[in-house]
Amino acid sequence: MTATTAPVLAARDVSMVFGGLTALAEVSLELHEGQILGLIGPNGAGKTTFFNCLTGLYTPTKGSVTLRGDRLPSDPARVTVAGVARTFQNIRLFPSMTALENVLVGRHARMTQGPIASLFHGPAYRRGEADARRRSLELLEFVGLRGLDDELARNLPYGDQRRLEIARALATDPAVLLLDEPTAGMNPQETEAARQLIFAIRDTGVAVVVIEHDTKFIFSLCDHVSVLVQGRLLVQGTPEVVRGDPRVIEAYLGKPPEEVEAEVRQYAEEAAHSTGTAGTADPADSAEDLDTEGGSR
Amino acid sequence: MTIPPGWPILGLGLLYIAIAVAVVLALRLLWQRSAKALADKPGMLRPIAIAGGVLAVLAALLPWVTFRFNDGPYPDLATLQFFDEPWGVTGFRLFVLLLGVVAIAAPFLPVPARRVERAIGLGLIALGLVNTIFPLISGGGFGAITAADGAFAFGGVATLVAGWVVATSAKAGPLEPLPHWNPKVPRLLAYAVLVVSYVVLLLVVAWMLDAGTDPDGNTNTYAGPIFLSLLSFLGAALGALHAFGFLGWLTALSERHRVFSIGVLVVCALALPFTDAGTDYWMTIAVNVGVYAATAIGLNIVVGLAGLLDLGYIAFLGIGAYIAANFSGAAASALHVELPFVLVAVIAAIVAGIFGAIVGSPTLRVRGDYLAIVTLAFGEIFRKAAQFNIGGMTGGANAIPNIPPINWFGRDFSAPLTIGSVRLPSGVLYYVLIMVLVALVMVIFANLKNSRIGRAWIAVREDEDAARAMGIKTGQVKILAFLIGAMLAGLAGAVFAHKTSTVAYNSFQFIESVTLLAAVILGGMGSIPGAVLGAALLLVLPEKLRDLQDWRLFFFGLALVVIMRFRPQGLMPDRHRRAELADEGADGVPIEELNVPDAPDGSTAQAVAR
Ligand SMILES: Nc1ncnc2c1ncn2[C@@H]1O[C@H](COP(=O)(O)OP(=O)(O)OP(=O)(O)O)[C@@H](O)[C@H]1O
Ligand SMILES: [Mg+2]
Repeated sequence: MTATTAPVLAARDVSMVFGGLTALAEVSLELHEGQILGLIGPNGAGKTTFFNCLTGLYTPTKGSVTLRGDRLPSDPARVTVAGVARTFQNIRLFPSMTALENVLVGRHARMTQGPIASLFHGPAYRRGEADARRRSLELLEFVGLRGLDDELARNLPYGDQRRLEIARALATDPAVLLLDEPTAGMNPQETEAARQLIFAIRDTGVAVVVIEHDTKFIFSLCDHVSVLVQGRLLVQGTPEVVRGDPRVIEAYLGKPPEEVEAEVRQYAEEAAHSTGTAGTADPADSAEDLDTEGGSR
Repeated sequence: MTIPPGWPILGLGLLYIAIAVAVVLALRLLWQRSAKALADKPGMLRPIAIAGGVLAVLAALLPWVTFRFNDGPYPDLATLQFFDEPWGVTGFRLFVLLLGVVAIAAPFLPVPARRVERAIGLGLIALGLVNTIFPLISGGGFGAITAADGAFAFGGVATLVAGWVVATSAKAGPLEPLPHWNPKVPRLLAYAVLVVSYVVLLLVVAWMLDAGTDPDGNTNTYAGPIFLSLLSFLGAALGALHAFGFLGWLTALSERHRVFSIGVLVVCALALPFTDAGTDYWMTIAVNVGVYAATAIGLNIVVGLAGLLDLGYIAFLGIGAYIAANFSGAAASALHVELPFVLVAVIAAIVAGIFGAIVGSPTLRVRGDYLAIVTLAFGEIFRKAAQFNIGGMTGGANAIPNIPPINWFGRDFSAPLTIGSVRLPSGVLYYVLIMVLVALVMVIFANLKNSRIGRAWIAVREDEDAARAMGIKTGQVKILAFLIGAMLAGLAGAVFAHKTSTVAYNSFQFIESVTLLAAVILGGMGSIPGAVLGAALLLVLPEKLRDLQDWRLFFFGLALVVIMRFRPQGLMPDRHRRAELADEGADGVPIEELNVPDAPDGSTAQAVAR
């Protein structure tokens, strides 16, 4: 959380132009070890496009992305191998695979069995497979999908699908996890569970970037918030700084800062109340209490 | 003014089509109405099922239009014969009788009666259709069913109506959930169940192949309807077994004890030559089924697992066959070297695999339909290259004839075999070889499917971008699918070359690729038993329907359309596909009852829920 250490993930002057449309204009952003970074902005601001540039799905027109100082390739598979995992705004699970198989696919890059080993199923192969299974089941339990491993992804309720996508991304052993609207379509209870889950993920040593429209959610979750408007970074800083910034209020929130602050406080209190933990105004402080529950729901 | 000669036929044809369409529409309307009216009246199950069952029993005892061989001037044409001794019931009439009795009994037994009735109803309809339509065609049109000597054949029509009524009874109230039997049973019990089931399967297969064969061993002129009747009956029986959860249980048992069941299956397959179906004729067809099954399993990797459409797949079988032909020492071959078969098979697989990788390499750039076109073009290029002997390895239009049979330890594979006092048909050694090969290919497929590579293939099929985001190098993975699939086809091609003894370019036409694809889709994409069943059906059905002559392909196509309409997931679907396309979730819960989200895959679910 201290900005003095070298960033895990750094984007420098990333621009993305589609035909004549500039979706991103020189966006620079740093993500540090142990950080949860929020990315907010109105529809069409370029948030998803930014994720696509980070993960190599798009090759930025200009600029570079580095992970721990190494430049990331513009190939999603290799980016994942390097240690950046993501979820998608419109859930993209493998619908007719089971929950467990989905997570196992996430292990793909961390497994080494080639076609020959896959053919003969020797002892080394079986050991690797058993390890992958164990790790995947752990992850399913971690995100709160215990016992649902044999369920087809397509048959899971919406909230569980989002959770499964997170488990699948975590299976790639990422250093950085990018979550594109992880609570879209969730009810308040599920949203709260997701918030705790993200804290828990952060506590396992994964730096997280979260895109969300729900500003209350973002301000109560993140250490650092960046606001993207029309492809440009408008403001970045701590939640307090961002929600107090007049430009943000004008461009995005449309409300005076006091009102936003009150809302956030109330939200955090409600959330703490609903899970039975002692209510503290700043949910980040109670992360340790919360994450144990988030992990073993 | 005279009417041109073709017109009356055309008019009659249009009239028939119009009648058929009108009948189908009327039945559809009736079906929907009755289904709606019965939906909230579960109590109607018993009366309707009993009425249908009784009608079926009566139908079995009524006079039918049937066939008798005649020695007259038109021995191939049927003469009409009416049963009038009600208790001498055999053949398809016995099936109708049995189904009728079960239809009556089912609502009183502790079984999911609606599912049972549905299966029986459909079986009765199929029996009725086969045994009504066939006399219509072979017996000289609609005239056949009119009264002769004051007698009238009611049986066929009565069976159709009975089937309809029985099927309707299944609509009274909601379908029961599929019972789920716990597959965790003592090992010995599981083994016993598996052995008995597979032996029964073997006997049923032998029975089906033998259906319509006269005691003297010749194929009966009416083998087609006899076979189809048996098929309808067995279909109904299987449906009923499925209804009370037995088939699902058996599948789960086989999956739990995979090695054991594959072993039993192989032994049963090897026992086929000892049954009534162990004739030269059926051995030849069984070897072809084996060749196609092995190839179809290879194609299943490409299409079923990786989701890449390949329309020129027969070319890989052809490459394997030509390689084997050239290393066989045949006089017409280009190389004039004779290598041991095992070595040849390996070379054939490797060369086919290399071509597979080449054909698959456009997958790096093109997706979906475009890839299908590329593979289609490759299939045609291969056939033309073979026809014009480009490369000098194919013998061109003269083909490569007189390929010597495989010879291991001085035993000629095409000769008959005598074990003790049992004389086995010629070609039985090829049969054994291809069965071993199919078993091998099955193990390869199963092992790959349940591995890191197999999961990557399925992931690519489901969502290529998401697969890449999981660190899967999709290009490599797709080419690997083509490579391994083509290797399996090449392996099968090596056996094919020796068994048929002639490798000619016209064995590898587009229609063969389509047949392979049909085998995969018919059986169920991604499923091993499905691919074997599909290949078996596609090769055995045309043999059995030979006497339908020109109608053969028509009925064949019709059967495919009907199967795909009512069972889009295939006959023996893979677990995943089953859930995707059937009206049942993985655990047999109707999908409407599961919590299916609206987005983004909800569209399929809704389409299925209809
Ligand atoms: N592949 C593409 N080709 C052309 N234009 C694109 C492409 N991807 C995104 N855009 C455009 O870039 C802009 C930014 O889109 P993006 O999806 O990144 O927005 P977003 O901030 O994620 O919005 P939302 O909150 O609605 O998800 C939009 O105008 C969009 O139309
Ligand atoms: Mg977006």
